[in-house]
Amino acid sequence: MKKKEYGRKMGGHSNWPEWIYVGIVIALMLWVGAEAWNVERLVEHVPEGAEVIKVTGQQWFWTFEHEDGTKEIGELHVEKGKAYKFEITAKDVNHSFNIHDYVVLMDAIPGRVNTVWFAPTDVGEHDIQCREYCGLIHYNMRGTLYVEEPSS
Amino acid sequence: MKSIVGLFLVLAILVIIPAADYVFAAGAEPGEYLDRRVVIWNLFYRLMAVAFVVGTVVSGTMIWQCWRFRESHPKAKPTPYEKEGVW
Repeated sequence: MKKKEYGRKMGGHSNWPEWIYVGIVIALMLWVGAEAWNVERLVEHVPEGAEVIKVTGQQWFWTFEHEDGTKEIGELHVEKGKAYKFEITAKDVNHSFNIHDYVVLMDAIPGRVNTVWFAPTDVGEHDIQCREYCGLIHYNMRGTLYVEEPSS
Repeated sequence: MKSIVGLFLVLAILVIIPAADYVFAAGAEPGEYLDRRVVIWNLFYRLMAVAFVVGTVVSGTMIWQCWRFRESHPKAKPTPYEKEGVW
């Protein structure tokens, strides 16, 4: 079918607005994908010198081990302005380590170490919680993050 | 054509400026760290804005098409198929 005849059969309208429409939607999707990819790249880049804190989840509490060997259960003390890298694992079933106020969320899986980092910006207390249903007392698998002034 | 160039210029600016912003916001200086709260929530709100714009445009276009191309629209014209009865 010739182009002119096809155009007539189609009711004599041009379809270039449709292509622009499709192009805009594709461009927006690409933009969304690029932004998300870039943010993920930035967020996953652990800064050099971040202090490692080993986090272990088990039914139904959190254990933290600092680089100097200090251990804490159910509470975690950190200093403002420093970067911390959490190495997260679990002893029994799947858990998920979450500090809601700092948008820290990472699964704690037995036999696997997952990492996530953050740098607290303000002194204060924040909730730590489990975000993966892990049994009867999952709802109360909580802890407290204490952000304190730097010691030095 | 000019409007298409303008449109893509706007889209390019929308992509390039935030990207450059983030590169600088990453904090190359020691002791300066990215605030993941800011970065993640910013992304969330921007993507929600895009999602709502796309949703509005797509559903708005469909609603308009249904309204404009209904048989009872005053400007509705029969297609050649309907007019001539030839398929």
